Amino acid sequence: MGHFLAFPILGLAAILQVTFMPQIRLFGGQPDLIMLLVMAWIITSPLEEAVTWAFVGGIAVDLLSAAPRGSSVLGLLILVFIIEQLKGQLVDLNIIVVFGLVLLGTLIQQITLLTILALNGFTIRPIEQFFYIVVPSLIYNLIFSLPAIGIVRRFKRVFSPRRRLSRRTINE
Amino acid sequence: MLLLAIGLIVASRTGVLAPLENVLATPLNAAAGAFQQVALRLSLGLGDLADFQSLQQRNAELEEALARLQAEVVDLREINNDYGRLAQLLDYTTNAQNQEFVTADVIAVDQTSALRSIAINRGTRDGIAIGVPVVTPQGLVGRIIEVGANASRVLLITDLSSYVSARLQTTRAEGTVNGQVSGNLLMTFIPLGEDVREGDIVLTSGLGGNFPPDLVIGQVTSTRQAELFQEAQVRSLINFDTLEIVLVMTNFQPIDLSVFEQEDGN
Repeated sequence: MGHFLAFPILGLAAILQVTFMPQIRLFGGQPDLIMLLVMAWIITSPLEEAVTWAFVGGIAVDLLSAAPRGSSVLGLLILVFIIEQLKGQLVDLNIIVVFGLVLLGTLIQQITLLTILALNGFTIRPIEQFFYIVVPSLIYNLIFSLPAIGIVRRFKRVFSPRRRLSRRTINE
Repeated sequence: MLLLAIGLIVASRTGVLAPLENVLATPLNAAAGAFQQVALRLSLGLGDLADFQSLQQRNAELEEALARLQAEVVDLREINNDYGRLAQLLDYTTNAQNQEFVTADVIAVDQTSALRSIAINRGTRDGIAIGVPVVTPQGLVGRIIEVGANASRVLLITDLSSYVSARLQTTRAEGTVNGQVSGNLLMTFIPLGEDVREGDIVLTSGLGGNFPPDLVIGQVTSTRQAELFQEAQVRSLINFDTLEIVLVMTNFQPIDLSVFEQEDGN
């Protein structure tokens, strides 16, 4: 189910990303809804589903952006694999861990995008862009991260088949 | 998986995936167009409410400006009439009279990432090609960098990668207008001896062949002397955040000067 949910949820998130989010811009930064939703899905789901989410989310946002197609896919996949490695070491998903992952995700996404743009001949000014785009985006992502995890958990609760355990099974 | 993503980037840049991209982007662009209208209405509505107190003062200022401009319009009409007669005598047609435009709605805004661009709901089916300029009555917006069947992407003049050959309306001093990270415009390479003043109108010069001459880019807000040339901060008259409708100049053909560079290399 997680594979199929990616299409409507991330499609809608990509559209909101390029229509509503620019209206609440802080300097050059805005919330990265796709990254937050993919990150929330990675935390709570198996690797295969997370990869699907990274692919669908990345393609959706790249189709609505001027960046080369695949730029966001690459950033999100790197994020998926890093979080997958970290997952085994995480004892509890508390707010500090979430904020750490958001910081990591924002940096990976922005660094990947800037690198690909530079390789494709676009002008970049990393230091200026870090303070004008990356830092405000990070602030927004931190604010939006908890609601994003809440939304993903709610979707999972609604759409995932519940395990029905009988009293006998529990006793065993 | 990572290799697949890298392959996707390369394939996209070479244009191999263009038909597939068109198919996938069409429903997304259509939905984005509808959402964009709602987002702009909401944003403008909230902005108006927040600015309500200053609106009355602004209204009074605008009424005063209107009265002043109406008088100016009368003078300009006279000059325009004279010009029309003289141009007819010389059998001279301006570029503006030959320009053909296609009206397009803005369907997505991508002004916050490392690239500043907008998407519009017109594409190759409407005669749009890569490189053609996009304008509004307030001035230059940017140029087309990607075209699909039903949608195109415009690189805004405020983007870091955007360079426009420009001149000052009053002194005709030449320079280059470049986008900044903050979204402002900077006119550089203005010769040191030239007189640059706040309020000067900056126009496209047409040099380089990327844009036709005499499109309004903006207005000088401040100047600075560098060692070898002068710089001027330029404010566009366009609010890029609330752009709704733009005009695409379909009959302008950008000139590709790269052929000369290749010859020089040989």
